[in-house]
Amino acid sequence: MSTALDSWFAREILVHEQALERYLRRCWPHRDDVHDLRQDTYVRVYEAAARALPSAPKAFLFTTAHNLMTDRLRRAKVVSILSVGDFDALNVLVEDVSPEREFSGRQALARLAEAFDRLPDRCRETVWLRRVEGLPQKAAAQQMGVSEKTVEKHLAKGMRLMAAWYYGGEAAATDAAAHAHDDDRHARQQAD
Amino acid sequence: MTTDMQDSRQIEQAAAAWLARREGDGWTDSDAAALDAWIAASTAHRVAFVRLESAWTACGRLQALGAGTRPGRIPPRGPWPGLPAGDHATAPANPRRHRAAWTGGALAILLAGAALGWGWRVHVASEDASYATSAGELRTVTLADGSSATLSSDSVIHMRLTRRERHIDLQRGEAFFSVAHDARRPFTVAVGARRAVAVGTRFAVRNDPDEMRIVVTEGVVRLELQSAHPEAAAPSTLLTAGMVATAQGNSVLVRSVSPEDAERYLSWRSGFLSFHDTPLAAAAAEFNRYASRPLVIGDAAVGQIPIGGNFRWSNSEAFVRLLEDGFGIRAERLADRIVLRSH
Repeated sequence: MSTALDSWFAREILVHEQALERYLRRCWPHRDDVHDLRQDTYVRVYEAAARALPSAPKAFLFTTAHNLMTDRLRRAKVVSILSVGDFDALNVLVEDVSPEREFSGRQALARLAEAFDRLPDRCRETVWLRRVEGLPQKAAAQQMGVSEKTVEKHLAKGMRLMAAWYYGGEAAATDAAAHAHDDDRHARQQAD
Repeated sequence: MTTDMQDSRQIEQAAAAWLARREGDGWTDSDAAALDAWIAASTAHRVAFVRLESAWTACGRLQALGAGTRPGRIPPRGPWPGLPAGDHATAPANPRRHRAAWTGGALAILLAGAALGWGWRVHVASEDASYATSAGELRTVTLADGSSATLSSDSVIHMRLTRRERHIDLQRGEAFFSVAHDARRPFTVAVGARRAVAVGTRFAVRNDPDEMRIVVTEGVVRLELQSAHPEAAAPSTLLTAGMVATAQGNSVLVRSVSPEDAERYLSWRSGFLSFHDTPLAAAAAEFNRYASRPLVIGDAAVGQIPIGGNFRWSNSEAFVRLLEDGFGIRAERLADRIVLRSH
């Protein structure tokens, strides 16, 4: 189901997630909003790219994030620079090139291994059995002594945490892990 | 905003649930159709799914770690043999790398300053002077510290040079400053309670009735609001080359524009006004900064007409003739003003 645009998005945009998160955190006073800002930035970039691919994707990504924050400030009527966190950074960091991360080669594998090692035990076990050993869901459930549904849940959580670390890096992964707990609880309430 | 925030996390969670289900057993065609529909429902769904999916695809490389391990046994956590220390080892160094990036930026600013270093004087000059231009006049003055100021039409600046600072009051109009580098004496341009502070750079400041506008063409300018409470840190905005800041009341809007657009704001220095899709009302106001016989907008419709192009500000008569010929606008030439009307 992956389209050419999807792979462009992964190749040219998602690889900057760590820098983007850092930028958002730096500029925006409320850390809790960062996840949402990131997502909205992605939505805008994706929709613009669907019309015409930007020639400088990284610059475009950061400009989009910058504009998004400016729009939110305006909409929230908190345009007073007094109420903004590090507004300096909002203007300056646009061109602050953070170290490029490797998304191929051994460094990337090392990062994946590290992300994997940071998963909670059961989650890590599930990811190993399903993704590395390629065990079917049923077999993994049997080996772990849990239901297939539980394996699926661990897997979904593992996917989120792996993505957070792989694209976002340490700060994002820590936040994701903290929220994964809340989300689990929330999901259970919804299921009830 | 709280609901938004939950939304983005909930969407990610839903995307992960879809992906996990797809990877699981018993994925049917109708499941696939349902997933497609979910993805198609919003771009937010799509980007969340694409992100998780591509990370999950990358996770396939973990299979390299499985080589030589016994099936069904989960290996202990790393270090993994044969793998370079990943971000694991470098993670604590992150802040340092970050600082390095900042230092790089600071260095660039210093270098930009050094390029203007010729203006630096060993003996500290001092000066206390006012400069003014009348309507239609353009004037460049060299200040005692080696900086220069180009005053636009009908503008007034007051300059105070001391050992500690270089202070300019932009009392009226607009001026473009080319600042000689002197790290010990910041160069400040004040409009009311707002101050634009530079060390060595090139920028224009404009004083409009309710608005201050800054266009930076080189270096960095810090825009501050002078606080009523001196002990409180002055809130500030850093502006770099290509940025246009508009300060109104308590708010500051910052836009990054292309170098050509930044130059357009400054084309008055070479005797031109440059418009790009500018409503005639705004263009006329711009001409009126220079002309002794102002252009008056006679009706709302005429004020809306978009204007583009470069016009010599000293020749508003030619501009008016162009409006008459090209736009069918009726111009009524009175002794003290020219009134523009649509038919």
